[in-house]
Amino acid sequence: MINSSQDNAPLLEVDRLSVDYGLKGVSSRAIDRVSFALRAGEAVGLVGESGSGKTTTAMAIAGLLSPNARVSGGEVRYRGKRLPIDDDAAMRPHRWSETSVVFQGAMNALNPVHRIIKQIAEPCVLKLGMSRVEATARARELLELVGIPADRGAAYPHELSGGMRQRVMIAMALACRPSIVIGDEPTTALDVITQAQILKLLGDLRSQLNLALILITHDLSVVAEACDRVMIMYSGRLVEDGTVAEIFGKPKHPYTRLLIDSIPNPANGKKVIRHIPGDPPSLVNRPSGCAFHPRCPSAMGVCQTEVPSLTGVGRGRVACHLHRFLQEDKVAAHA
Amino acid sequence: MPDNANFLRLEGLQVHFPIQGGLFDRVLGRPPRAVRAVDGIDLNIRRGEIVALVGESGSGKTTVGRAITKLAQPTSGRLLFEDEDMSSVRGSSALRPYRHRVQMIFQDAYQALNPRHTVFEIVAEPLRSLQLVEGGKQLADRVSEALAAAGLNPPGDFFSRFPHELSGGQRQRVVIAGALAVKPKLIVADEPVSMLDVSIRAQILQVLVDLRAKHNMALLFITHDLPLAWLIADRIAVLYLGKLVEIGSADEITFNPHHPYTVALRNATPQIRSDASRVGLPALQGEVPSAARVPKGCRFHPRCPVAFHRCKEEEPPAIEVAANHTAACWLAT
Amino acid sequence: MSEGTVRYPPRGRARAIKSFLRQFLGRGGAQAGVLCLVFFLVLAAVPNILVGPLQTAINATGDFLAPPSSQHLLGTDDVGRDVLNLVVHGARISLTIAVLATVISLVFGTTVGISAGYYGGRVDVWLMRLTDFFFVMPSFVLALVITPVILEVWGRGGDIFGFRPSLFVIIVVIGMTSWAFVARIVRSQTLSLKERTFVDRARVVGSSNIVIMVKHILPNLVPQITANGALVVAGAIYVETSLSFLGLGDPLQPSWGTLLALAQRAGAASAGAWWDLSPGVCVLTVSLSFVLIGNALDDTFNPRRRVIP
Repeated sequence: MINSSQDNAPLLEVDRLSVDYGLKGVSSRAIDRVSFALRAGEAVGLVGESGSGKTTTAMAIAGLLSPNARVSGGEVRYRGKRLPIDDDAAMRPHRWSETSVVFQGAMNALNPVHRIIKQIAEPCVLKLGMSRVEATARARELLELVGIPADRGAAYPHELSGGMRQRVMIAMALACRPSIVIGDEPTTALDVITQAQILKLLGDLRSQLNLALILITHDLSVVAEACDRVMIMYSGRLVEDGTVAEIFGKPKHPYTRLLIDSIPNPANGKKVIRHIPGDPPSLVNRPSGCAFHPRCPSAMGVCQTEVPSLTGVGRGRVACHLHRFLQEDKVAAHA
Repeated sequence: MPDNANFLRLEGLQVHFPIQGGLFDRVLGRPPRAVRAVDGIDLNIRRGEIVALVGESGSGKTTVGRAITKLAQPTSGRLLFEDEDMSSVRGSSALRPYRHRVQMIFQDAYQALNPRHTVFEIVAEPLRSLQLVEGGKQLADRVSEALAAAGLNPPGDFFSRFPHELSGGQRQRVVIAGALAVKPKLIVADEPVSMLDVSIRAQILQVLVDLRAKHNMALLFITHDLPLAWLIADRIAVLYLGKLVEIGSADEITFNPHHPYTVALRNATPQIRSDASRVGLPALQGEVPSAARVPKGCRFHPRCPVAFHRCKEEEPPAIEVAANHTAACWLAT
Repeated sequence: MSEGTVRYPPRGRARAIKSFLRQFLGRGGAQAGVLCLVFFLVLAAVPNILVGPLQTAINATGDFLAPPSSQHLLGTDDVGRDVLNLVVHGARISLTIAVLATVISLVFGTTVGISAGYYGGRVDVWLMRLTDFFFVMPSFVLALVITPVILEVWGRGGDIFGFRPSLFVIIVVIGMTSWAFVARIVRSQTLSLKERTFVDRARVVGSSNIVIMVKHILPNLVPQITANGALVVAGAIYVETSLSFLGLGDPLQPSWGTLLALAQRAGAASAGAWWDLSPGVCVLTVSLSFVLIGNALDDTFNPRRRVIP
């Protein structure tokens, strides 16, 4: 599944990572044994509904977990070395210079009383030890890189449009030359046309700087436009992982299939509203076995009791009992 | 039975919000400026029809919805409902018959529900304030009926719940139930599913579509999502900076758009293609200008890839490009 | 409330109240405050059962300025009255004045604040000018000036709603001078509440302005009103004590302030009769418990200030 040749070694490996949230003495599992690998320059979409654990996964990788979260198992490796993701102080040198994050609400992440050029230069001074002059030059360079004329750097955040602010956020994320950028719903608050501009920018930057991109979103169609690979999460677990072509052409997990079907798509010309019954489960009362079984049209007895493991099917992976049986049948037919 | 065409009509509807000029402006005698949120639109909705109003933020789509539901007062133009001019009617008692027929669903259900009211109180509120029921028994029956129609079953289980005890989808269903309780003829739905999880969206859309099928209820569906509009609506109206740029059947607008803005909107919409091919059309440059500074001529010309000299001078009228399909563009034929 | 809530037992509401009480009483400050307050409320409720009828110079039982003894637990004052007896009866007067004054101030302040915030425009401008006037006016000085005037006009005899006029005047004066603070808080909250979508929804479903203010905005102001109400009570007790101390109280229905004034006039402090100053301790304790309760209410209602668990 992962190409193990020397020059193609994974940049980032997430190995059976589990994170628990403690709330009023009750601990609930936000993500449960999530494993995947990311290669340099790869764009992966991490898709899920609210409460699926997609944001927790990404924040764990970036070492930005909230204080009431605890890594309860597994680890994250960057170029083969374990990252101290649950140690705030030890993580500091890794943050922004290896992995950086573009957040959703750009207005909240920017300080309203400082000019944007100063805010972009700040990490260059603090992290890269640049002088003020060097840092300002670097900030101008970064602004041009994200498609903002360098002279606009004198503006304050409120003087910029939503799309421009998101570009500033991207410039800040790139300041320390990271090799992985995590986009946490970077286009959700934006208009369709601005979203297309930002997605195009991210795509251009990726090829230009050989960035690996993890795009967290609830919108499958955004992933279809901007990523090579898709990982679908449901209730804290990875349920399917595959290339964009595989997932959208031939989805294997019933949840993925229903999710794709529930998105209106004029291209296939069918005006049918297909819905998934029920609500996504909350973290505290996750259904037993496969968490999707209460909503799954093809659930079997085993789905209620046993958690399906994420197993390789073709070039992707899927966590569904249905596919395990299909595989076993195939093996039996061969024998 | 009134004529179908005269169900709801907007004639040159304008909603301008004045900008408080500073003392400086007043001393210099500068004319007062205004945000031209809705700047003269003509639109009609037929009985039992679903019309989608599509636009980006700042297009004025929400203000159109607020004007129809009398939350915003039109500056000029007319709002006709069943041949009755509603544009200047004000005050909660004078509006009572209109409120009975026109209801609204909001984008953020959590915000739209008073956190200190129970589901029963929320759904009963319109029945009480519009004086549609007599006695507690009838009230409880109507509330149950509305909750069931919105897909909250069994209704009795929800009566004493508070909004924060419900999931996002359930909250939106409560908002819908509140609107349904009075059995309106038109519902204005302002981005009713944009805050919901993908798997819940289709459930809510289904409830809305069923209403039309069962009660012949008309729906004005306000959205920024063209594929969603195509899925649910009979007709789509595209709004740009307070003006309608194109109106036509859902299929016409989606597959045969004439206005360059509609084309850009369609091309920018991310899509799932099973062959994973990416078309990679050039994205439109720039952003929607402020409604306080509307460009002269065609308001789309500064961003339009095919604009020519006439577009900078004259505002194009709505030109019929096919049966029941008009586009406001000099190049439309 | 509405018929609907009566027909269907308010299960949800009861649950909400229960969880609120659990959070509120989980705070140390709230526990101490509530405990103190309950103690004084019991005193105020049944003074005759606890210490017998109010003693006067005529039916006084003790020596002059006698120190605490087994007979007079808090000693006696300069005319031989039992200080414990006076303090317990004073609790009734002081608490009644403070609570009623607070009710007036809350009702008036909330009405002005909601109307100004909700209607806006000219209504807002005029109501807020009025509020500003009372806000910048030193309320104590105002009370000091108004009280004797009204007392003179009205006369000290007779009674109004079962109160001797001097007490009634003090209640009204304190109420009228402390509402501006409430009105400002209520107005600013109303300004943000009226922009919330649920107010739009209420208008679309046909509710009138009055219904929106009473059923939608007011319930959402309850946290601010109660939390600040507790602080207003604390302030009212101080103002009442000070006014009575300056001789504007009613000697026939002595409050804590009146008792302190009498003690001061008798030279209790210089004579070393510390027990005669015990009403002062009561004033401090009761105000402190209201402040503690107010702060705990504020912390419970305002989740943003809540400490992350």
